[in-house]
Amino acid sequence: MTGAIPSIALVGNPNAGKSSLFNALTGARQKIANYPGVTVERKTGHASFADGRPISLIDLPGTYSMTPASLDEAVTRDVVLGKLDGEKRPDALIVVLDAANLDNHLCFALELLALGLPTVVALNMLDLAARDGLTLDAERLSKELGVPVVPTVAVRKRGLSELLVAVDGAIESHQPRATVAAPANDASLRQRAHAIANAATVDETPVRRWTQRVDNVVLHPVGGLIILVALMFVMFQAVFSWATPFADALEGAIGVIQTWVVGTFPDNFLRGLVVEGLLAGVGAVVVFLPPILFLFFFILLLEASGYMTRAAFLMDGLMGKVGLSGRGFIPLLSSFACAVPGIMATRSIPDEKDRLTTILIAPLMTCSARLPVYTLIIGAFIPATNVGGSPVGLQGLVLFGLFISGIVGALLVALVLRRSVTKGNAAGFMMEMPRYQWPRWNDIVIALWQRAWIFLRRAGTIIAATTVILWLLLTFPQAPAGQSQVEYSVGGRIASGLEVVVAPIGFNHDIALALIPAMAAREVAVSAMATANAIDAGDDEDAMAEALGDRIAGRWSIATALAFLAWFVFAPQCISTIAITRRETNGWKWPLFMVGYLFALAYAAAGITYWTAVAFGLG
Amino acid sequence: MTVLLENVLDRAPLGVMVRIARIDWDAMSEDEGRRLREFGLMEGCEVTPLHRGSIFSRDPLALTVGRMKVIIRARQAAAITVEPAA
Repeated sequence: MTGAIPSIALVGNPNAGKSSLFNALTGARQKIANYPGVTVERKTGHASFADGRPISLIDLPGTYSMTPASLDEAVTRDVVLGKLDGEKRPDALIVVLDAANLDNHLCFALELLALGLPTVVALNMLDLAARDGLTLDAERLSKELGVPVVPTVAVRKRGLSELLVAVDGAIESHQPRATVAAPANDASLRQRAHAIANAATVDETPVRRWTQRVDNVVLHPVGGLIILVALMFVMFQAVFSWATPFADALEGAIGVIQTWVVGTFPDNFLRGLVVEGLLAGVGAVVVFLPPILFLFFFILLLEASGYMTRAAFLMDGLMGKVGLSGRGFIPLLSSFACAVPGIMATRSIPDEKDRLTTILIAPLMTCSARLPVYTLIIGAFIPATNVGGSPVGLQGLVLFGLFISGIVGALLVALVLRRSVTKGNAAGFMMEMPRYQWPRWNDIVIALWQRAWIFLRRAGTIIAATTVILWLLLTFPQAPAGQSQVEYSVGGRIASGLEVVVAPIGFNHDIALALIPAMAAREVAVSAMATANAIDAGDDEDAMAEALGDRIAGRWSIATALAFLAWFVFAPQCISTIAITRRETNGWKWPLFMVGYLFALAYAAAGITYWTAVAFGLG
Repeated sequence: MTVLLENVLDRAPLGVMVRIARIDWDAMSEDEGRRLREFGLMEGCEVTPLHRGSIFSRDPLALTVGRMKVIIRARQAAAITVEPAA
């Protein structure tokens, strides 16, 4: 083993606290990628033994047995068997057990032990087991299993160094074990697990569990739903109002940089590119980092506390009516942050038709990339007043309405799809409900940092590139004096062509211009308008100072603004989503279908909104 | 319908522990059956149904089995015959 860094896999049941243990062991030294050929997230990280020798850790998707029910579970099996192409078989396993759920978790542990790899068992979440009145004997468990058992509390970083010492020892002293075959069938495996769990349990006092009282309220057939809707509402209000000061500060900072560049460098091609292209375009998108992080923060909080599965329970009835299952609720809620991780999260849905339908409607969830568009238009056209003297802001209410439109649209589309193109048996819904837990700040901070980084990297690559190309298209050829540069340029002429198609639904030249580059990503619509605005303003300092929102408020009718909002509820303008759909469905058929039906819906929705608004005199 | 409806888990009253007498494995797919067993739902084990559905529907059913709380659909619960726990 000299030279090669030993790779150690963390493996165990869902809800065993694997990811927290992984975070505690690796800290922020993590990398998220995909397994070759599949879109299951591959989380790796670095740690080291006490004497400083480096090790590489890999966090495998949680699963119940070596017989997978879904794509991510299959990855776990293939990795531990060394059967996944391009992925090295781990040198050792850390089997993570929930101390309070030994009976169940030992079944999979026994199957893993039968593989004969160097193995250490982490008896995790001992504190929660104690809360439930359980006292366990780790030594006895170790004797029964024949491998070291280390008690851990990942949250408090307890038992981590002992765990690594045990892993080191297990690799060093490893003799190819006479592999004990796992019991051949489910029943005898269960019996054996049960016997071991009993032997290791010293004391079991029934404790009145407050979690049950919480569930009686939270899962109440009516009250539970009211709580869920209230939570969602508070979440979206908060995203809008709490994040504003941070967004304003970022916007101010970008303005300062722009002024500095203008004042420091001579007026030439490069300065124009940087100020009007990069800073105006990318800056317009980066200011939306705060609301996006707030949204992810709430979603991570719901997930980490154990509430998300309760939400899935409550929504299952409704989702069942349109042929989906409560399991789809979690990917769909993630899609509010971004459809890409949302679509990837569908891999845990076992039923193929159910999964495909969930993928096809995921882009209808109001992802964070729409926030820049929505906030710009809402800020420009909807007054910042409260509704009838209540503390509910009108702007927040409109935003909430747009979210709801996406959800209702998605449910209706699912209903139609499940009766036509994705017809099949009613989907199942079987899921374990995790216990409630206090979210670990450490885990949330790490996850938030990863999201922020992904967003900034996107802003730095796709968005920067499309903005620069757009700037070039809008700058050349130079317009003669007295003519609008944006109208005269190549980009402006292309937009004029598109304007013919979108004029019936109330879209003007500004919008036509923004729609083309927004194919790359929705938020580019905003950066495109910002760039066009900056070029048109030219050296006119008054026009330059005029915010983009004020400018379009003066140029668009309310009907056009509303139609533009309706368009973005549906329009599939995101290259990443189309690409991930192609990968997840193994071909072009479904992504093309998705793009087609979403554009058709977007056109219809924008049109109906525009004509209705005009009929009410808002044109 | 020759099955005695009140004897299936789907009709069992909430909050009362019952023992699983029989599971009609043929009424569900192989995958569903295996996942039930992975949850520990097998003949002879004791479960307590706790929550059933919402205003939208009777689906799904949440129950405790051992120290775990799991969610299944009414369709599977209807294939599980139960008897009073001792």
